[in-house]
Amino acid sequence: MAVMGPGLVTAFADNDAGGVATYSVAAGKFGYQILITLIPITVVLFITQEIGARIALASGKGLADLIRERHGVRVALLMLLMVFIVNFGVILQDMSGLKSALQLFGFDYRIYLPLLLIFLFFFLIKSSYKKTERLFFVLILFYLSYLFSAILVKPDWGKVFHSIIIPQGKMSFDLIYTSVAVLGTTVTAWGQFVIASSIKDKKLTASDMKVSQFEVVAAAIISNTFTMFMMVAVAATIFAGGLHIGDAAEAAVAIRPLAGDLAGILFGVGLLVAGFLGCAIVPLSTAYIYSELFGYEGSLDQGFQKSKFFYGFFIFQIVLAAFFVMKPSFSLFQITLYADFLNGMILPVIFYFLYRFANNPDIMGKYKNTRVQNIVLISCGVLVSLAVIIGLVGKIFNL
Amino acid sequence: MLYFSELNRKRVLTNDGIFIGYLDDIIFLLDSKPRVTKIVVDYKGIKTIINADAVHKFNSVVRIAKFYTQTEIEENELFVKRNLLDKQVIDISGNKIVRANDVIIHEQVNLSSHQYECYISGIDIGLLGILRRLHIENVMTKVIHFVGINLISDFLSWADIQPLDLVRGSIRVKKEETKLQNMRPEDLADHLEQTNELNIKKFLRLLDKDFATEVVSNLNINYQRDLFRTWSPEKAAEIINKMDTDIATDILLIVSKRKKDEILKLVEEKKRVAIQTLLSLTRTPISKRLSSEYFVASPTETPRDIIQKIKKLTPEYASLDYIFVINQKKQLIGACSLHELLIQQEDTPIYKFMSQNLIEAHLKTPLEMVVYKLVKYKLHALPIVDLNKELIGIIPFDNISDIIESKFQS
Repeated sequence: MAVMGPGLVTAFADNDAGGVATYSVAAGKFGYQILITLIPITVVLFITQEIGARIALASGKGLADLIRERHGVRVALLMLLMVFIVNFGVILQDMSGLKSALQLFGFDYRIYLPLLLIFLFFFLIKSSYKKTERLFFVLILFYLSYLFSAILVKPDWGKVFHSIIIPQGKMSFDLIYTSVAVLGTTVTAWGQFVIASSIKDKKLTASDMKVSQFEVVAAAIISNTFTMFMMVAVAATIFAGGLHIGDAAEAAVAIRPLAGDLAGILFGVGLLVAGFLGCAIVPLSTAYIYSELFGYEGSLDQGFQKSKFFYGFFIFQIVLAAFFVMKPSFSLFQITLYADFLNGMILPVIFYFLYRFANNPDIMGKYKNTRVQNIVLISCGVLVSLAVIIGLVGKIFNL
Repeated sequence: MLYFSELNRKRVLTNDGIFIGYLDDIIFLLDSKPRVTKIVVDYKGIKTIINADAVHKFNSVVRIAKFYTQTEIEENELFVKRNLLDKQVIDISGNKIVRANDVIIHEQVNLSSHQYECYISGIDIGLLGILRRLHIENVMTKVIHFVGINLISDFLSWADIQPLDLVRGSIRVKKEETKLQNMRPEDLADHLEQTNELNIKKFLRLLDKDFATEVVSNLNINYQRDLFRTWSPEKAAEIINKMDTDIATDILLIVSKRKKDEILKLVEEKKRVAIQTLLSLTRTPISKRLSSEYFVASPTETPRDIIQKIKKLTPEYASLDYIFVINQKKQLIGACSLHELLIQQEDTPIYKFMSQNLIEAHLKTPLEMVVYKLVKYKLHALPIVDLNKELIGIIPFDNISDIIESKFQS
């Protein structure tokens, strides 16, 4: 149990508000047909997270540490800039999700959103890594609301499982594009950084390898099971009812008349928690990268004084994002597209670094990638890159 | 002073102009005085290690001897790029402070062998280091200068680093007293000057006598006076016995007369006679020969700024041989000759190429010693500093040439 945490938290944070939005829109558009993406994204998530975790455990270093040390300051700064932009898009998504969820329950976001964010600051600064992880665990428990929500909408479970394994319906460019978006929101660039940095922050070592690998597999399966519940809840109601939704909050509203208030409320609670978790972890990942790159102390275990650059960068991102999100006219839709697109673009770059580091005996020692692991990683990289390109071409030419 | 980032990927040419590759890395001895022993040259992906003895000079290109020898890395050697650059800097208790943004290399010509030698003198941990790596240092410095801010480099001296930890991949800043002995005395003196007198005494007690003497010799005269004031005459005499006569005389000149006599009584006879001879010369004051025709610059000024200022401020001077560099506290921190200034790029700040190992004297230094230093180190002028290391004047060679003349005639 002592080793559990980094994998689970990262995997669940992939189902952040942006994730919930993408899954909802995808399921609203394609119904059960979109469930076919579940097994592939679980596999890709597991493979990349496992390599990320293994590198961190073997080297005791974060991904950004290694990029700076092995590829110099120029590459590292470029990486930071790219991830910062992508993450900022994701933070905007998550904060908007949080804002929508608050509005859903009739809370005034102008009061409650800043309050929640201030709570987040102080909690992260004051508490240790262990306590912060516990907070995340508690938040993850709230994802169960998607399970209940999915049960309440009474789907055809036989059809659900059938759709997961056997492709249904017609192939289209739009389906590919949407599948890429689903993949892009599940396998994220920041997820790679956050798993390595939190393993380091938790002070896990190579001796924890076996348990940690088990956790990563389990986390990928469990978190994507919840993805399935989200998709099922939307597919069985909104898609079946022929409705159109633009984001997760609309899904929560639309579910109510179709499957009862409780199902809608539970879906909304899930969104609230997902937004909050995203607002915590995504800016945290950029702060980890920032402090690793410049060599500043950056750990949740330390107070503000010692890790001031780390927390300072965290706060900077939150305040900047809040500045945009607090505007009443702020539109999430544009941001969702741009963030998912950029994330898809930098994933192959991250895969390249994972490949380089995982094959370097200086870093990995006996935990170096085997030939099979390399083939699998390269296949994933090629698959993701191809999917991104196909989806992009399809979108540009409006196919 | 050189930076690794400025040398990295420089063309390597032999004396007769044959291109042999690009400088890829530098190898140094893992030691308290880390000499550059080898260079790595990359030619189309093939890396060759060449003995640094062959290097004539690191300049806009790296010139090496026509007949150089290839070699291998040895056990007690490390690479600059692989083991130092971009590595994490941690303090003694393991807290992360910063990363090594650049590596500083000090060039010197060995006085006895006349061989060109380079040493790793420290690590740049400041913002300037990162800007330099990105090759935007000059542009950014200008922009920031334009806004009215002067960027000052942030260094970590080699003396503050625990060499053994480098092998383990991290740069550990040492604050542990037992490790101090591995440093060069001059670096340790610099290091100690940052702390207070109590700490200095505590440190010195940990060192062996010879080493402690060397450290004391290298301390700022202000600290030397404070130390001798608090030491017992026995302890002071013990140090004086091991010290160079001229440095011992310098120190004794600034302690009280009573203390001086007490100490001298306990000094070995041969040494005592020598010191007393030098002390007796001090009746000749040097203040009469002091000249105020000297030129100072601040560390971030460039040759362009300085040349303009020289034109404006010094037309009345009888001569001008050196540019003295002073910090914000007006303390003398470096110097450079006119020739050195003229051959530099116009935009290079002076702190990068000034000489930091200065020969200087005090108002109470005997005139004979001043003459001796001018002749011995072949200087055109000797800076005179007060107890706070503030520059108060110079003694140009012209002002003492009569002494030499009279010696010659007699």
